[in-house]
Amino acid sequence: MDVNRINPILDAVAGTLPQLGFQTVSKKSVALGGSVLNWAGVMINIGMLGSIKGSIAIGMSTAGACRFASTMMMGMEVKELDELSQSAISEMANMVCANACTRFSQDGIEGVDISPPVLFVGEGGKVTLPVPKVISVAFMVDDIQVDIHIGLHE
Amino acid sequence: MSAIRVMVVDDSPFSRTLLAEALTQGGCEVVGEAESIETLIQVYDECKPDLVTMDIAMPGADGFECTKTLRLHDPAAKVILVSSMKDEETEADARHAGAVGYVQKPVEEDVLLRVIQNVMSPDKMFGNLDAWSCDIFAEVLAQNITRMTKSTAKITEQADLRKNISQGITVVIGIIGRYPGSIVFDLTQEAAEKMAEIMLRRPAKSPAEVVSVAAEFANVVGGVACSMLNRKEKSFGLRVAPPSVFQGATNEIISPMLHMHGVEADTDFGRLSLSFGFKKGTVLWM
Repeated sequence: MDVNRINPILDAVAGTLPQLGFQTVSKKSVALGGSVLNWAGVMINIGMLGSIKGSIAIGMSTAGACRFASTMMMGMEVKELDELSQSAISEMANMVCANACTRFSQDGIEGVDISPPVLFVGEGGKVTLPVPKVISVAFMVDDIQVDIHIGLHE
Repeated sequence: MSAIRVMVVDDSPFSRTLLAEALTQGGCEVVGEAESIETLIQVYDECKPDLVTMDIAMPGADGFECTKTLRLHDPAAKVILVSSMKDEETEADARHAGAVGYVQKPVEEDVLLRVIQNVMSPDKMFGNLDAWSCDIFAEVLAQNITRMTKSTAKITEQADLRKNISQGITVVIGIIGRYPGSIVFDLTQEAAEKMAEIMLRRPAKSPAEVVSVAAEFANVVGGVACSMLNRKEKSFGLRVAPPSVFQGATNEIISPMLHMHGVEADTDFGRLSLSFGFKKGTVLWM
């Protein structure tokens, strides 16, 4: 996939997260890798389908996910990733990807839609996204590292 | 049954009159009208409608902004956007603003009423999908085990699988359509290796090959099941997104937005677990 095509997703991250209570959202690194990624903690998978298709996987550590959910819930204490926190971070993934669809459409890539998020939580392992090359972008969201893995093709 | 109570938001008095007439003819009751964002919330609170029809092109805040504002005020508000524009971009914007329906101007009375009926009784259609999906996924799983692995399976159904624990290899497939959803196919590494060996008629050459066989199997099952559901109800419009495959045992698999069902297949090469669920939305587009 053309690297320029990831901009709507990056803009969606930068545009959506401040609305959820985060102060700073900065891009830390961009890497191009193969289809297999390692993950641990939390990984959220959202399917995309339309004129571009594939998956977006959003990862963070368990502790990071707790802090993330806490900020989304107005600073409420989150000691463990309970049902409410899981729901909060999946809502975030849903919002970011839905927002990216709108931005794709503004860029002339129309009809892209998303599936509901599926969360994996635990020791982790590997995940294979349905494309040969995955673009991984690490963001610092306040003090939480959030990895956005983009596995899309046209 | 009492009439559906509708509020009309449009800056044009002419359009409001036309819509009100169509609604009244169709047995709805027009309980309030607003011409801009300034009076939107006040009128909404006063008339407490069952749903709102909303023009898109209005001076000041447009219909998308008004919809977002209204849904922030009342997340349960049901908004049908009404506009002369109807393209994919506008529809996507409408969906993302939280509208539950979209009708093109000039409004045809029967189209408007059908959308309203669907918005007001989405439970029946979703109920059908939910019920049919259990039988169809079980049937398609059994068929494809026989077809692709030449073995038989004992199928058991499980209800309400919101949370699940991965056995080793988990294929996740997103579903897009009127009711979006997810399919999760899960099996042990050992079962996946045996399944790959049967399907390839030789041992898999690499872990990647095992993953790709599991993904392909799940993709076929998901694709066929969604096609069968579409044949039962054309307007479901279900399509499957490409599969992602997670590896690692004992991870929790959670689908917070879905009510998941599951079927398990006990085969000669191990237990295959297939769960699936759809999001109960009221997004209807005409």
